[in-house]
Amino acid sequence: METLVETTLAAPKGDLSFYGLFWQAHIVVQIVMLGLLAASVWCWAIIVDKIMIFGKTKRQMNRFETVFWSGQSLEELYGTLHNRVNHSMAALFVAAMREWKRSHEGARPAIGSLQQRIDRVMDVTIQREQERLENRLLILATVGSSAPFIGLFGTVWGIMTAFQAIAASESTNLAVVAPGIAEALFATALGLLAAIPAVIAYNKFSSDVGRAVARMEGFADEFSAILSRQIDERG
Amino acid sequence: MRAGLIASLTGHSVFLVWGLIAFPDAKSFSVPQVETLPVDLVPIEEFTQLRLGEKTAEVRDVAALQPSDTPAEETPQPADKPGDSQVQQPSPPTPAPAPTPAPPEPEPVAEPEDAPEPAPAPEPVPAAEPEPAPEPEPVPQQEAAPAVQPILTSVAPRTKPAPPRPQRQEPRDESIVTDVAALLNKVEPAGQTGGQPDTPASLGTRQGAPNIRMTQSELDALRSQVAMCWSPPVGAVGAEDLNVRVRFNLSQNGEVSNGPEVMNSNATPAFRAAASSAVRAVMRCQPYSLPIAKYDAWQEVIINFDPREMLGG
Repeated sequence: METLVETTLAAPKGDLSFYGLFWQAHIVVQIVMLGLLAASVWCWAIIVDKIMIFGKTKRQMNRFETVFWSGQSLEELYGTLHNRVNHSMAALFVAAMREWKRSHEGARPAIGSLQQRIDRVMDVTIQREQERLENRLLILATVGSSAPFIGLFGTVWGIMTAFQAIAASESTNLAVVAPGIAEALFATALGLLAAIPAVIAYNKFSSDVGRAVARMEGFADEFSAILSRQIDERG
Repeated sequence: MRAGLIASLTGHSVFLVWGLIAFPDAKSFSVPQVETLPVDLVPIEEFTQLRLGEKTAEVRDVAALQPSDTPAEETPQPADKPGDSQVQQPSPPTPAPAPTPAPPEPEPVAEPEDAPEPAPAPEPVPAAEPEPAPEPEPVPQQEAAPAVQPILTSVAPRTKPAPPRPQRQEPRDESIVTDVAALLNKVEPAGQTGGQPDTPASLGTRQGAPNIRMTQSELDALRSQVAMCWSPPVGAVGAEDLNVRVRFNLSQNGEVSNGPEVMNSNATPAFRAAASSAVRAVMRCQPYSLPIAKYDAWQEVIINFDPREMLGG
């Protein structure tokens, strides 16, 4: 009976708050925890950034479409837009109109393959816009898939050291086992905490990118048809 | 991107501060106190051992073969713990102190027979007395031994010290019966210690010894063996009252050596059928398996065939 009481008293009665768990952990587990925390911070920064970008893109496209289909002259629209920094549909429109203008400049207009050039210019612009929207989404995907494993690594390492401590203290009392396991599981908790929002955000943003690109391709086709009609009428 | 980074850092720091406040430390589980019940393991032998019979106790039925209401009346209240039985042994009516002084007085008949005996009695006494004297002395001094004897023989005529001894020896020789009674009653019945069972004194077995222990479970085993072979007289009128007491002897290999003998009788016409069924039951189950080490305890068996118990009454 006395020995039991002594072992119970000798067991590490650790601080089990978040910070207690962190400071008691092994250095490797601490590094893993800090890395996971940094990944979570970076993921949330990307998420906030992307939410703002996608909202802005959607608003810009809506506004441009209303202006474009309002019957305003393309020359006037180009005149107001070509000096600005444009994104999405406006960038498409400006790129196509710039190619159109350049083809009509000079003494001898090059109209023969103008349609093909306009299409290529718009394709390149779409790709550039898509790249801008998809930027850093791969980080979300990477964190979402690898953070649980990193957390698991921290847990395994923590449990390893916990078992070594148990073997050293020669006691299987639950009070000896529990703190080590708790601090080890804390690493997995952090990994999941970083991974779950990253996965959800990646799925949402990749679908948003696909939708925006499809919308731009639709506009590009329509605008290409308009320009083609103009070329044929003038030629 | 900078706005997103600032927002993310702010959010995480808020979350960490909230974690500091909301999860300050682990709370220990509140475990309800469980009452501990001390359990002592007590061998059943202390309660069910067969004891040496007492001559003066009255004959009782064995409690276990009776319907449950009758033993409740007979048995004294059991003690709470095996250690302190407050119910003392119903000690036999103690004639023990009385007979011990009595022997010379109540049996004058024996005296005339023993009267001539006191004369030989003193003779061995002087013979015994000189013996210690020569023993310490070395063997070669045989001359000294005859020297001593004449001294004693000269002393012998004075037989005055002798009378007290005949008085003691007289009752011993008077009769064997009183002698046995004196032996049996030497220890006066006193308060029982905790080791004794609370069952009232009974006649016990004929060869009963205090060391033989037949546990209640072993007795029950014997009873169940007999009960399996017993087909009680179910249909008879008043079958519940046909209580048959059967005595039989067993040999060491468990067979009935001295045939079952019905000890009681009843005027009911169905009693004969009941008695024969009991005897048949005893004979049919013959090789009884009982612990051979306690053969003295089950050499003679008396079984009460009570149909009320058998019929589930």
